[in-house]
Formats: sequence, structure tokens, C-alpha cells
Amino acid sequence: MIMTRREALLLPVSPWFIVASLMVCLVLNMLLGLTQAIWLPDLLAVCIFFWGIHQPRRVGIGIAFCLGLWTDVQQSSLMGQHALTYAILSYCAFTLHRRLLWFPIKEQMIQIIPFLFLSEATGWVIRLTTGDDFPGWPLLLSPLFETLLWPAANFILLAPQRRAHDPDDNRPI
Amino acid sequence: MALESLDRSPPPFFRVGFAPLTKLIFFGVLSVVLMFGDKQLQFTQPVRAGLATLILPFQWLVLQPGQALSSVSQYFESLDDAQQKMKQAQSQALMQSLRAQLVEQLQLENQNLRLLMGLQSSVATPSQVAEVLFNVPDPYNQRIVIDKGQLKGVSLGSPVIDTGGVVGQVTRVYPLTAEVTLLTDRDQTIPVLNSRTGARNIASGDSLSGVPLVELKFVPASADVKEGDLLTTSGIDGVYPAGLQVARISHIERRVDISFARIHAKPLADMKGRHVLVLQPTGAQVTTKGKAP
Repeated sequence: MIMTRREALLLPVSPWFIVASLMVCLVLNMLLGLTQAIWLPDLLAVCIFFWGIHQPRRVGIGIAFCLGLWTDVQQSSLMGQHALTYAILSYCAFTLHRRLLWFPIKEQMIQIIPFLFLSEATGWVIRLTTGDDFPGWPLLLSPLFETLLWPAANFILLAPQRRAHDPDDNRPI
Repeated sequence: MALESLDRSPPPFFRVGFAPLTKLIFFGVLSVVLMFGDKQLQFTQPVRAGLATLILPFQWLVLQPGQALSSVSQYFESLDDAQQKMKQAQSQALMQSLRAQLVEQLQLENQNLRLLMGLQSSVATPSQVAEVLFNVPDPYNQRIVIDKGQLKGVSLGSPVIDTGGVVGQVTRVYPLTAEVTLLTDRDQTIPVLNSRTGARNIASGDSLSGVPLVELKFVPASADVKEGDLLTTSGIDGVYPAGLQVARISHIERRVDISFARIHAKPLADMKGRHVLVLQPTGAQVTTKGKAP
């Protein structure tokens, strides 16, 4: 684990927490999907990207692909569309994971924007080539909102690793 | 604290699996194959049906808060509203009973005439009521999911109607649910009959400045079409029974440089209601009738 400045030493991640966070994002995505708004962020994409950066050995391209298939069936979109998008996102996270965590959060956000746009654009290209209409410009907001969620993701998803493992009043740390 | 509990254990150098690029290429090709199969060859339906059944409990969970909210708001609906609705329903029932009596007489007359002319008598369409679960989350398409599926005898292509008229057609069937494509979806097409002139046309889904409508395709600019004309199903397609109300013509645009008129019609179905009626395709009934002795 690469540590940024003034970052607490993190406890090892619990695999069950990763699974639970991905499941919660799936369910929240379903809930957001019912509104049919195209500008809403894709929480599952943020979660996959986050774990791809922080735990590249645990959440890889294969898991991203399976979650994408699940989303395809749930949204009843073309089979393999979200699967490809998430796989690309997960690969981007892998290429970025050694470098990104050296930067503070704000600079991390600037660096991840292009990758979130890329994954979103993959989705549009697939839709346009298979004969769907262009749904309108508000969809550009989706990756922006996803980027704005990055600090929140950092706070929530790393919280279980930040708690003191063995509290002891007599110990300085 | 044990040292191994920190992420300090040496990474397993010799068993990291395939390189990420290899994985990306593998899964990329796999998803392209899946997309092609879904779009062109339709071989992904079993996978989709299996996954859809797996997802169903999650979807049920997600729908609960909304349903609870709507039932609570229904409970607190004011008495005035309820009385007004009852009055409306009563007057509607009166009007309908008048029409129903007429229909019975006409049906008898029609049957006698058909017998006289030696035509096959028209078949009654089996139907079942289904509840609308939710709109499909995909904002690019206009589809709804209903709570009756393959196990309840819903078949692919079944027409779906509500109190106003035709809603759409079943386009995907899962074991417990089914997906209905609305008339206003751009991939949906329905053959219609102009009930004033008797002209037969094709109506496909289209949206006019953001409002979902249906468009009559390939109607010559000189054709006799007026605003307010009622479009009904023609009954010659082997799917929809004849005479169901579909839409009413709302916009007509005739331009000199194009030989076809641009005609839009507003669907008469409610499309937002909670209950729909799933009919059996008429073609299926004819073939089963033919097979039976």
C-alpha cells in the first residue's frame, strides 16, 4: 500500500466489505435507474474504479465484467455493453493505481476525469453504432458527478480500514 | 499486532495471473461477441433470462420503498377525491352499459351475417391482467416490466392493452416477468386502420419535440387524413385483434418538397397506469385452432 502524506496507516481491507460495497452500489444504481435521468452518476462505476485503484489484486477486470453483465440484464440494455465499459474502466484503474495514490485527493480527481469520460464515451459509441439516438448533452454531467463523488468514496470506502485496530491509552499512536 | 495483518506481505510474484492487457482483450472480445449475439443472432436470451431471475429479489427490494410510499399516500387521499372518482366511475359505467347493450346486439347480428356469408367466426381473445412493476431503467428505450411471465403463459409478441387502448407488445419473456415495448418506442411498429377512411397504414414510435408519439410512415401527401382521425388495429397482422383503439392523429405536416406527409398521432392508452391486459397474439390462436381436430 502506497501512502500519501499525512495519511493514516491503513488496516488490511476485509474482502466482505468490498463485496458488500459493490452490492450496495448495485442496489443504489437500480434505485437511481428508476428515475431514468441520464445525468445521474453511475455509483457502481465509481466503486469498481475505486477498488481497482486501491485493491487491484482483488477487484480486477473479470469482476468488473461480471458486474457489467448484471447491469446489462437489469437495465435491459444490449448484452455486453456495460460489461465492456466496466472492463475498460477497471483496466484504466490498473494502469493508474501505482501513480494516483501519491497525489492529494483534489489532484486525484483531476487525473481520473478523463478515464471516467472514456468509459462513458464507450457506452455512447456502442449505443450510437447499434442504432440508438443521441440522448442529449446532460449525459456529460454523469462523469463530472462521478468525479465529485471521489472524495466521498475515499471517506466511506476506506473508513473501516482507518479505525484503530487495538485501542490502547498508554500507546502514543 | 501481527505483522502479516498489514499489507506488508511480499506480493506473490509468480502467481499474479494473466497480464491486465490480456484480460482486457479477452473480456473485450467476449463482450463484443455478446453484443453481436444479442443484436443479430439472439442467442443470449437464456443467459439473460437466468440472470434476470437472479436479479428479481434485488429488484423487489428496490421497489418496496416506492410502493410503501404510494400506498401510504393512497391511504391519506381525501374523501372528496374518492367521492369524485366514484361519481366519475359511475357515469362511465352507465355510458359503457349503454354501449355494451348495443355491442351485444351488433355481435349477434354480425355472427348471423358471417354465418350467412360463410365466413369463419371471429375468435374471442384469451387475456390476463398484469401489474406494471417499473419502467425499464434504460433511458434510451421506452419499455415497462410486468409481473406475469412465461410461467403464466405470456408469450413473445403478445399485445398489451389498457383502458385507453393498445399499450405495446411483449418483446422479452422471462420466467416470472415480461418486458413490454411501448408503442412510442422508436423500434416499435404497429399496423393501423384509419377508422374514418378505412386506409391501412404503419405507425412507428417517434418523438416530436420531446413528446413521445407515434408517426404514420409512408403516407402520400395527397392522402385523405385529418387531425382527430381515430386509428385502430386492423387485425390483419396476426398479432393484434381487430378494432383496438391505438391513437388519434394530432399533427399533420404537408411539405411541397417531400412526397410523403409527416403525420403524428397521440396514443390513446394511458401508459402510466398500474394495470394492463395481456392478450394472446391472434396468430397463435389461429394456428392452435387449425391443429385441433
